Amino acid sequence: MSQFTVVQVPKAETIAIQVTAPNQVKLSGTITQKDPATDLAGFFKALHTAALADKLTEVRADVSGLTFVNSSAIRLFVDWATWVKNERGHRYTLRFITSRNVTWQKTSFMALMSLAKEVLAIEHVT
Amino acid sequence: MENAEIPPISRKLAPYPLVFMRFRPAWAYIDGIREFGRFFCQTTFGTRELADRACVVIQETLENAVKYSSNSADSELELSIESDGSNIEFSVSSLPDASHLSSLREELNGIQTLDPEQAYLAAFIRASNEPEASARLGLARIRYEGGVELSMKEESGGRIRITATGKL
Repeated sequence: MSQFTVVQVPKAETIAIQVTAPNQVKLSGTITQKDPATDLAGFFKALHTAALADKLTEVRADVSGLTFVNSSAIRLFVDWATWVKNERGHRYTLRFITSRNVTWQKTSFMALMSLAKEVLAIEHVT
Repeated sequence: MENAEIPPISRKLAPYPLVFMRFRPAWAYIDGIREFGRFFCQTTFGTRELADRACVVIQETLENAVKYSSNSADSELELSIESDGSNIEFSVSSLPDASHLSSLREELNGIQTLDPEQAYLAAFIRASNEPEASARLGLARIRYEGGVELSMKEESGGRIRITATGKL
């Protein structure tokens, strides 16, 4: 049974989150809470752990509908990329699906790519 | 710390900013003020690119100001937006907790030794290497994504003013 698809989705006021089989998580809305890690850090970690348990070769994180986030939220994506990068056993590609029309995604995922290009892929949608 | 390339607009212009707000340092106000800033810049200057930059500048400067504001009765924040037709300037005045001043000064000095893109990348690397520390991506993000230079001025009564100046 897939661990990834049974990861519990947190309830957060301004974000819609959907996990779909076999390897996709979709986030939309905005993330501007004072400490978004409270809602999301454990969730991202659970997805990461489940992806390793399922021996997934790729996780697709569709953030194209995240219209604005604060830097504390960007930090959560840095952490996720770092977990994958630092994994010594099985690793998967963390593919972010981003929108060309959302400014923060262009700048921040470019920087993230520089940080962990060996485990990241960025895909653009309109 | 003064920006050598673009002198602050407030020194050159008539005394009336395009926008001036004064409010208590509450997190709950930030979303609304950021979205007003987006609307204002889009409507006044007609470019979505500037509206997006304004959002980053307003969100991150106000987050810093709210997080580190003192609890005193005169800790209200002031936000102003000015333009001379070529440049735009966002200015946030706050009364921070004294313990925050030196780390803010150090952070600003640090990011300004690098070009904006390199400073943002360096902040990502630091965040990656220090998973337990706070993110400290905000100021570098303002410079790079906001397309502005930052300066800090210490004012009377312990207040500080963070000014972000960039091309329209």
